[in-house]
Amino acid sequence: MQIPLQTYRPVLLKFQSLIALLILCVAIGLLSDKFFTVANGWNVLRQISVNVCISVGMTLVVLTAGIDLSVGSVLALSGAIAAGLLRNGIELPANNLYIGFTVFGAIVAGLLTGSVLGGFNGWAITRFNLPPFVATLAMLTIARGLTMLWTEGFPITGLGDSFTFLGTGWFLGIPLPVWISGGIVLVVVLLMDQTRFGRYVYAIGGSESAARLSGVNINRIKMLVYTIAGGLAAVGGLLVTSRLDSAQPNAGTSYELDSIAAVVIGGTSLSGGRGSILGTVQGAVIIGVLNNGLVLLNVSPFWQQVVKGIVILLAVIIDKSSSRND
Amino acid sequence: MKRNGLKYGVLVLLLAVVAYNSVYFRKLDEVKAKGATSKFDAAAYAEAFWKTKLLPDSGKAVELIALIQQLKTDKDKAFEAHSHALSIGNLRYFLVRGTGKITAIGDHDVTVMLSNGSEITIATEYVFGNAARDASGLISLTEFDNTMDLNNVSAELNKIIRNRVVAPFKASAKTGQQIRFIGAVELNREHLHTDAIEVIPIRI
Repeated sequence: MQIPLQTYRPVLLKFQSLIALLILCVAIGLLSDKFFTVANGWNVLRQISVNVCISVGMTLVVLTAGIDLSVGSVLALSGAIAAGLLRNGIELPANNLYIGFTVFGAIVAGLLTGSVLGGFNGWAITRFNLPPFVATLAMLTIARGLTMLWTEGFPITGLGDSFTFLGTGWFLGIPLPVWISGGIVLVVVLLMDQTRFGRYVYAIGGSESAARLSGVNINRIKMLVYTIAGGLAAVGGLLVTSRLDSAQPNAGTSYELDSIAAVVIGGTSLSGGRGSILGTVQGAVIIGVLNNGLVLLNVSPFWQQVVKGIVILLAVIIDKSSSRND
Repeated sequence: MKRNGLKYGVLVLLLAVVAYNSVYFRKLDEVKAKGATSKFDAAAYAEAFWKTKLLPDSGKAVELIALIQQLKTDKDKAFEAHSHALSIGNLRYFLVRGTGKITAIGDHDVTVMLSNGSEITIATEYVFGNAARDASGLISLTEFDNTMDLNNVSAELNKIIRNRVVAPFKASAKTGQQIRFIGAVELNREHLHTDAIEVIPIRI
């Protein structure tokens, strides 16, 4: 008895990211004997932690039918602010006062920076009705410029063991960044599944006018979404800075693309209203495994860009065709 | 009303706890004084390195003609035996010595013909990079807290070379003059060009 393909189609579509990841892992595993090693596994997880943090925020934004191109620059500025305050503090010569920052204080300052910049994105988009693409593109250059001004174009280094523990430490045999990104995923999944906020986010992306007519405060939700996205980009910035023990002025360049790729590959629709955080996590893992595999296979960095682009393109094509069939 | 007051009270308390654990205050002049004593002095480090390590050790420099020959016949062995570098990558540095005759004096360099007839240049204008710092292999990464300090040592060493080696050499160099030199050379292991060797002078 032959079962028609149509019977499997919904299952295949539901687990498309997982199937893609499985195929990718098997293919790379066959081509490189270093891929299926414990050390490489932790390495991949540690590397994708940053992208997971950013992509979770990006998912919320994309679910509202928006986009945030500024996450890479916000990541850089947040990391630089935290590193600068930790290393140099604030000098007030007029009062002969030096305000030093503890590691905790620097982390809080970094998170605040990201959240405020994200909030500014949301404010610009809702207050002036700007397309998210334009508003966040402007923030991309503003934040990068501010990073250059703050760092004077030089890395800020020597941040101390307590700070670097955040990005390099282990807890219960698992890298700390994996715990942090895992915690963020858990909280946001609960937020999206168990709260009114989550339902409103999906509602806005599904049909903004219908959500407005239903009494949803669109502007408030969007402000919150962009603030969260900025805050999570800041978490990514702190992880990167901590891992490198250095805030690089050009950190996070093109991270927004990896993040959008993770969201799209994870099955979130760019037109909003459809997708999930766990799908995005799968997308981030796919991007991470792909990056890792291409490096292990000694593929030229130029070709790596091409391959990543093709994968994103394929993901969007599959997304479009599955949307048509729904 | 009462509930709101409680909410704001908790919020203020929370903010106060966060602020208390985030910042600390000091007198600026005390911090500056402490910073001045603990701050890495790249100029002093470079001066000491130049006088007590690099110049005394320059006698161990490899003969440039022999090095070029070895690079042509067994590149890997030549890099293994004579090169140093503090960073990862294909750029490696050699401490070299040689004798030759000045054949041309340009705006940026002086061309020297070695005794085997091959020509090299001695940089007299653009003295940059890490060649002088890394070529001897006498500096260890563990001596530095951060890469900025390490890079500053290169900048200070290059300054010393410009002022104490290049300036008098430029003033006295004449075409046809026979010279002996010790210097640092940067070579790319993957893209090796032995016909365009530029020496950063250390002693002439």
